[in-house]
Amino acid sequence: MPEENYGLDLHCSMILDEYRCNLAVFEQMKGIVMETISSSLKENSLLVTALESRVKAEASLAGKLSLKGHKYRDLADLTDILGVRVITFYSDEVDKIAALIQEKFEIDWDNSVDKRKQHALESFGYMSLHYICRIPESIFKDPAHPEINTFRFEVQMRTALQHVWANMYHDTGYKSGVEIPHEHIRSLTRLAGVLELADDEFSRIRVQINDYRRKVQALVKDNNFDDVPLNGDTFKSYLDLGPFDMLNEKIAAINQAEIQKLNLMFFLDPLKKLGFSTLGDIEKMKAECSDYAYRLAVHQIGKTDLDIVSSAIGLQNLCITYIFKHEGTVKEMTYFLDTLNGTSDYNRQQAERLFEQINRLRLQDIK
Amino acid sequence: MDVKINKVDNKFDVILTGRLDTTNADQFQKDIEILMEGENPDITLDCKDMEYTSSQGLRMFLMLQKSVNARGGKLVMKDMKPQVKEVFDITGFSNIIKII
Repeated sequence: MPEENYGLDLHCSMILDEYRCNLAVFEQMKGIVMETISSSLKENSLLVTALESRVKAEASLAGKLSLKGHKYRDLADLTDILGVRVITFYSDEVDKIAALIQEKFEIDWDNSVDKRKQHALESFGYMSLHYICRIPESIFKDPAHPEINTFRFEVQMRTALQHVWANMYHDTGYKSGVEIPHEHIRSLTRLAGVLELADDEFSRIRVQINDYRRKVQALVKDNNFDDVPLNGDTFKSYLDLGPFDMLNEKIAAINQAEIQKLNLMFFLDPLKKLGFSTLGDIEKMKAECSDYAYRLAVHQIGKTDLDIVSSAIGLQNLCITYIFKHEGTVKEMTYFLDTLNGTSDYNRQQAERLFEQINRLRLQDIK
Repeated sequence: MDVKINKVDNKFDVILTGRLDTTNADQFQKDIEILMEGENPDITLDCKDMEYTSSQGLRMFLMLQKSVNARGGKLVMKDMKPQVKEVFDITGFSNIIKII
C-alpha cells in the first residue's frame, strides 16, 4: 500500500519520511523515558494522578506540517514527536516533578516554557510547565542509534485541575475549527481562575492537615494523650507505639502462644461507640482494666491448649472488662461486639457467655 | 475433618465436618489447596458440622484468609457451633475472619 503524503509539499514530505524511518526509535525513547520517570517518582515517593506518553500519530504530524512545516528544517527540529505528561495532585508538586526531570534529562532551556509564568497578573488561562528534553548518555547509550540521545521530546507537567481545564479548552475551543465568541472565551478564562484558586486551596488545606498531623504525632510521642482527640490519624499514631503489646505478651505467655499481628484500626469505631473521645480515655481504660483483661484471658485460654492468639486479644478483653466495670448490660456488650465483628446472632450469645464468665470469675470487684 | 467443595466459577461452597487438629491438619491443607488458587475467590465455609478446631486449625484458616486477601477475594465462615465459635472469640480470631 503506497504511503499517504497528505498533500504535503516536498520539504514536509521529506520530514514525514524521516518520521516514518525513526518511528521505532521514538517508541524506544518512550520506553526509556517512562521507565526513568516512573522509577524516579517511586524513589522519591511522589504520587501522581497520571503519567502518560504518546508518540505523535502520522496523521497528526502531517496536519502540523501542513500548517507550519516551513518552520522546521528536519525532523530533529520537532520537539513533540514524543510527548510525556505528568499530572500531579497538587500545584506545588509540579515544581518537584520539574526538579526530577531536570536531574534525569538534559533540558533544552531555550525551548522550554513555563506557561504558569506567562500570564499577566490580571489574566488566567493555560497553566502548564513544558520542558524540552534529551536522553543523556548516562541513562541510555546505543552506538547504533545515537539519535536516541539527539532527538528531543517534550514533558508537560501540570495539576489535575489544570489538565481538566486544558482538555476542556482544547475540546471546546482550540480544536473545534470554529471561531469561539468572546463571551465563551471569557467564561473559559474565568473558569481557569476558579481552578487556579481551587489548586491553591487544595495545597493550603494539605499543608494545614500535615501541620495538624505533625502536632498530634508530637503529642502522642510525648504521651500527652489527654490532649489528643481520638480519630483515624491519632489512633494510627497511637497504635504505632504498640500500646497493647505488653498485655498481649502477658496473655500469650499463659499458653506460650504465638501472637498473630493484626492492624487494630478496626477498633476505632467500637472505641468511639464506647464514648471514648481522646487517646487519654484509652489509656485510662488500660490503667483500670489491664489486670481484669488478663484474668479473663487466663480463665478463657488457660484451660485450653490453644497456642496462637491475635494481637487484638488484649484490646478486645480490655473493652469487654471495661463495659462490665461501667455497669454495662448484655445488650451493650452485644452492641459493642456488633460494632467490632459485624452484626450477627453470635454476638448476643458471646455477650451472655462473657457475662457468665466474668461473674464466675468474681471480677465484680472491678466495679 | 471431612472437606466437601462445590465450585461454580470463582465461588466455592465448602462443607467442613468433624474435628480439625494436629492429626489431620496436613490432610486439611491438601484438601483446601484448590481454595488457594485463582483471583477474586468467593469462599463460604459451612461449619455447622465442624465439631472442634485446635490452634493448628486456626493457623490453617489464617493462612487461607491471608491468601484470599492477597487475591482480592472474600472468605466467610458460617453456622459455627458455639464451642467452635468460642475458640475464635477467646483467641481474637473473630477479628480476623468474618463469621456469620
